[in-house]
Amino acid sequence: MTVEMLAKQLSLEPVCEAEPEREVTGGYVGDLLSWVMGRAQSGDAWITIMSNTNVVAVATLTDTALIILAEDVHPDPGVAELAEKKGINLYRSPESAFTLSAKVAALL
Amino acid sequence: MKELSLNILDVAKNSVKAGAKRVIIRIVEEGGWRTLSIIDDGCGMPPEFLATVTDPFTTTRTTRPVGMGLPLLKLAAEQTGGTLTIESSVVPPTGTTVTASFRMDHLDCVPVGDYAGSIVTLIQGSPEIDFLFEYRRADGEVVLDTAQIREILGPEVPLDTPDVLVWIEGSLQFEQAEAEQI
Repeated sequence: MTVEMLAKQLSLEPVCEAEPEREVTGGYVGDLLSWVMGRAQSGDAWITIMSNTNVVAVATLTDTALIILAEDVHPDPGVAELAEKKGINLYRSPESAFTLSAKVAALL
Repeated sequence: MKELSLNILDVAKNSVKAGAKRVIIRIVEEGGWRTLSIIDDGCGMPPEFLATVTDPFTTTRTTRPVGMGLPLLKLAAEQTGGTLTIESSVVPPTGTTVTASFRMDHLDCVPVGDYAGSIVTLIQGSPEIDFLFEYRRADGEVVLDTAQIREILGPEVPLDTPDVLVWIEGSLQFEQAEAEQI
């Protein structure tokens, strides 16, 4: 499933659609960035409530397919522009991380 | 990071890379705040690099485009209401001082963790560097100066000798308060 299709199925609000045709192959949930850095896999849909520039850096390092900001979190100022610059897919959703991960798991 | 000790390891490695001969690592717990300082006499950072050093896309690494050591320490401090400050100078070469403060009663304040393990790892990796470690908290203090230990041991016993490292790790522990048993 592509990022674009996943975003549509989950009614995600796009913050930065850098590469919508990217394939999503798994999922990861976590907010402790150093922990996520070592565990999220390339191609994952990464669900988090963290919203600072470090999130974009971790997505770059781990090569996740997209970031989903859960629980109605807004990206910090400058994060959307940074995601654009680094080619990172970034979306947001009012739903909880639990609900989003259940839905991602059901779709993959 | 789940423990401050992992941040210490990460940031002190920058001091080693900066060619420091002496690195001071200090943790002081006072008035509800925990303050971590890492002070080195390395080559320092030019102002333009210093200005961007907490940006995760700034790094001295050439193998990957992102450096997370200082950005994560900043995040850990700020999520408790604390701050991170960095002072550094190339001319004159006064080295670099990184200071992070944490509100200890904040729910997102990570524990110090295995600081002794981090110090031993640093000494093991760079036995020729002088490390001064000080940890002051409510129930006492721990101080370790590898320059002193090296002087006592003499030149024929390097600090990364296994027995020496085991002794160092033991000497970094706080004494158990006996009153706790009652």
